[in-house]
Amino acid sequence: MTDNKETVFIVDDDEDIRSSLTRSLSKRGFVVETFDSAQAFLDAYEPGLSGCIILDYGMIGMNGLELQQKLVTEGRALPIVFITGHGGVPESVQAMKAGAVDFLEKPFRTDTLVERIRQALKISAATSETRKKALRAKMMLDTLTTREREIVDMIVSNPSNTTSKEIARALQISPRTVDHHRARILEKMQANSMVELIDLAIASQRLS
Amino acid sequence: MKTSLGLVLAFCLAGLQFVAITIIMSSSYVTSERVLLNHARSLLRDVGVNTIAHSKGFLEPAKGAAELAARIAENRIIASDNRELLEQLLFQQLQTAPHLAGLFYGDQRGNFVYVKHSEEPAPFRSKIISRDGEDRETELIWRDHTYEPVSRIADPADTFDPRNRPWYLRAQTERTTVWTDPYIFFSSQNPGITIAVPVISDDGDVQGVVGVDIEISELSEFLSELKIGENGTALIVNQNGDVIAHPKPSLLRAVNTDGTFRFAGIGEIEDQIAQAAFGDLSRMDQVLIDTERYAEFSHRGADYVSTIMPTMSTELPWTIAVYAPEADFIGAIVQNRTRNIWIAALVSVLTGVVGLFLANYINRPVRAFAVRAALISQGEVDPAAPMPRTYKELERANTALTEEIMQRKTTEREYGQTFELSSRGMVQISAETGALIRVNSKFASIMGYEVEELLERNVADFLAPEDPALFDQIVDETLESGDASIEQKCVRKDGQSVWLRVNAIMIRDNHGKPLHIVATINDITKTRNTQKQIEKLNRDLSHLARGELLGQMAAGLAHELNQPLTAITQNADAALMTAGENKVQNEELNQILRDLDQQAHRAADIIKALRSFARKGEEWKTPFDLDALIDQTLHLVQAEATEHGVSIAVALDDLPRVLGIRIQIAQVIVNLLRNAIEAMAESDSTDRSVRITASVEKGFVKVSVDDTGPGVDPGLDLFSQFETSKADGMGLGLSICRSIIEAGGGRMWHEAGDPSGARFCFTVPVADK
Repeated sequence: MTDNKETVFIVDDDEDIRSSLTRSLSKRGFVVETFDSAQAFLDAYEPGLSGCIILDYGMIGMNGLELQQKLVTEGRALPIVFITGHGGVPESVQAMKAGAVDFLEKPFRTDTLVERIRQALKISAATSETRKKALRAKMMLDTLTTREREIVDMIVSNPSNTTSKEIARALQISPRTVDHHRARILEKMQANSMVELIDLAIASQRLS
Repeated sequence: MKTSLGLVLAFCLAGLQFVAITIIMSSSYVTSERVLLNHARSLLRDVGVNTIAHSKGFLEPAKGAAELAARIAENRIIASDNRELLEQLLFQQLQTAPHLAGLFYGDQRGNFVYVKHSEEPAPFRSKIISRDGEDRETELIWRDHTYEPVSRIADPADTFDPRNRPWYLRAQTERTTVWTDPYIFFSSQNPGITIAVPVISDDGDVQGVVGVDIEISELSEFLSELKIGENGTALIVNQNGDVIAHPKPSLLRAVNTDGTFRFAGIGEIEDQIAQAAFGDLSRMDQVLIDTERYAEFSHRGADYVSTIMPTMSTELPWTIAVYAPEADFIGAIVQNRTRNIWIAALVSVLTGVVGLFLANYINRPVRAFAVRAALISQGEVDPAAPMPRTYKELERANTALTEEIMQRKTTEREYGQTFELSSRGMVQISAETGALIRVNSKFASIMGYEVEELLERNVADFLAPEDPALFDQIVDETLESGDASIEQKCVRKDGQSVWLRVNAIMIRDNHGKPLHIVATINDITKTRNTQKQIEKLNRDLSHLARGELLGQMAAGLAHELNQPLTAITQNADAALMTAGENKVQNEELNQILRDLDQQAHRAADIIKALRSFARKGEEWKTPFDLDALIDQTLHLVQAEATEHGVSIAVALDDLPRVLGIRIQIAQVIVNLLRNAIEAMAESDSTDRSVRITASVEKGFVKVSVDDTGPGVDPGLDLFSQFETSKADGMGLGLSICRSIIEAGGGRMWHEAGDPSGARFCFTVPVADK
């Protein structure tokens, strides 16, 4: 799976739908990947994917709503555009509540679909930026020593008591040593202030 | 009518002694009266005999005096023509017999000497008539007791001639002593008689006649002194019917028209009782009685007895008549009798009361037994309780009764328990009126009433207004065949309808007369309703299959059609894009591709319209019981299953209500069952069974239909249209089924059976609670 470019993932158990949609969207310049079932998509899924999902509602085995539910629960949210041959109102309401971009009834106008895809990709892009920041913060946090990590955790968990004395007392080491550690931390995290450090640490937590 | 023992005893004891007393009383009544009346009769006769004797005794001296005087004259003791001597002789006679009124002597020449009692101026008076041929001289001389003359006068006007007098003529003719009939004396105006004796000379000629006047007032006095009971009366009647002696002498005299006196006849005397008693005598020519005559008679409300004695003698042809009030003889007895009756009545009452008490005493154990029997029969006394003191016969009856009652109570209790505890409703109905006699609590709960409320009601109260003939029908059927079984719609207390199955039997008495109906009642409302629901489902399914097949197909196939249409539009779009990449634009091709896209959308619109059209008659989704629906659908395919030897088993968890279009889900289930049955019908397998299971999974109810058929060819996608394993199948059934299930938010799929056969599953969402 390519993760550099925004990808449109098509999940539909109808081969004809998959192929025609691939053609149509590829012609418009979208990167398209297809899966013949929800399970197939889950199997291929990797963290850090960006793009959107064109999801058929009625499928044998796990249906569209169930897949959406699973992705949302696991925090692997990609924007979803539902396509369905039934157009049931209750199902569409449920899908929209769970964060779907739209619920299109088959057959749909390609222009409408394309518009929804672009909308979804914007959302995806925004989500992707946040994610990148978090990843970088995490990578930097991983370079810290155990003692340094301890100190960061104390600061993040209790931002109002961040003087060196307090930390030293809590860890039973000298305040001077704490000052030394703090300087190393800011350097490693490429942060200019403690506020910036806290921001990075919190961002990294979003990944999990 | 049965009589009470107490009454019979009381009647016998009191009544019999009453009868006895009455008989004794009346017997003594009759006999004592008879005895007394006989006594009265003899008393009256005694009076008569007495009176006769007295009368004879009274008159005898007069006869003697007269005969003595005649013999003196006959024997010439005194010269009969010596009037001074004769006067003296008569004077002496009169003085010695003071009850004689007078003595006299008349001879053939017409001389007459008459001595009689007088008053003024001296106690005696003599009348002497001396004749010499035609010359006559009459002298009246008054004398005292010593025969000294006190006064003398001559009476020249006197014309009396003894020879013309009746007494003279009779004595002269008969030449023997004669008695005249009684008559009223001219001088004293008292009743009397004259006794005349002829004086016959030696040569046999009658020289003269001696006479004696005797007043018979004495007889009346005698009669008045007689004691004949209290108020009895005796009187003397002569042969002419004249009353010559009566206790009241004043009644004797009657006045003739010429101023002279005569005796009053028995028919005219002013003694009403005597008239009533003896008036008959006056109608006789001559009152001559041979034998004593006794009679009883009533006068003015009072009872009397009377006796007439035989005539005294030929010289004295008189009859003594006596009468007296009965009361004089039997009055005391009657009084006594009245007292006796009162005493008898009192005794009767007393003994009657004693008899009643005795009867009561005798009857008491019997009555106590009757009361006890009644109480036992009402259950207020334990039959085993000891019997109070009583008779041996009752003791035995009690034993028999107690056993009988115990037996009956046991039977009743068993029947009662059967009745009360029955799992069915039970009622006992009067055959005549239809009133409920007895009901059990089950029946009450079926009808929604309290047991007590039902007992005031009639069968007719429960019948649905449109069909009120239940009771008549039951009665007719039970009368005809002894039992009846019907189904009837009735109305509960709350107004709801309830269907009852009624099984009734008629209970009759020993004579076959219908007493009441006992019926068992089952509430078959639910069964009937289920039956009705099944029928409705079947109708609905048939209707669906026939009339709305197209609409249902459209709805079911919308998804299937939309898939290829989507592919067409996307392909058209892609083709248009591809065509746009060419340097030379073929506008005609572009138009074709746009038309292609357009037409695909048009097709989709048609499908949408068709689907919404089909939806018009559709029900909305509603919550319903899936297990009940499964149960009902089984009925629809049961005949088919039986025909092909397929058994159907059902295993359902405790299922919540689900949400969906009921009739469509029913169609899915029926379809799956039919498929299973048909699949096995074609196979040679001997094990032909279908198993339906249902369970709850994550907000859905999952239904599986397993069969033991040959299974499904793996190469076949049964859910696509027109794919079928059946020789005559259209390949639409499962496709439509899946559309229905998916339209309802569920899923439908196929699995391989375990260990063989096919398994079709679908899910239906659980209804929100």
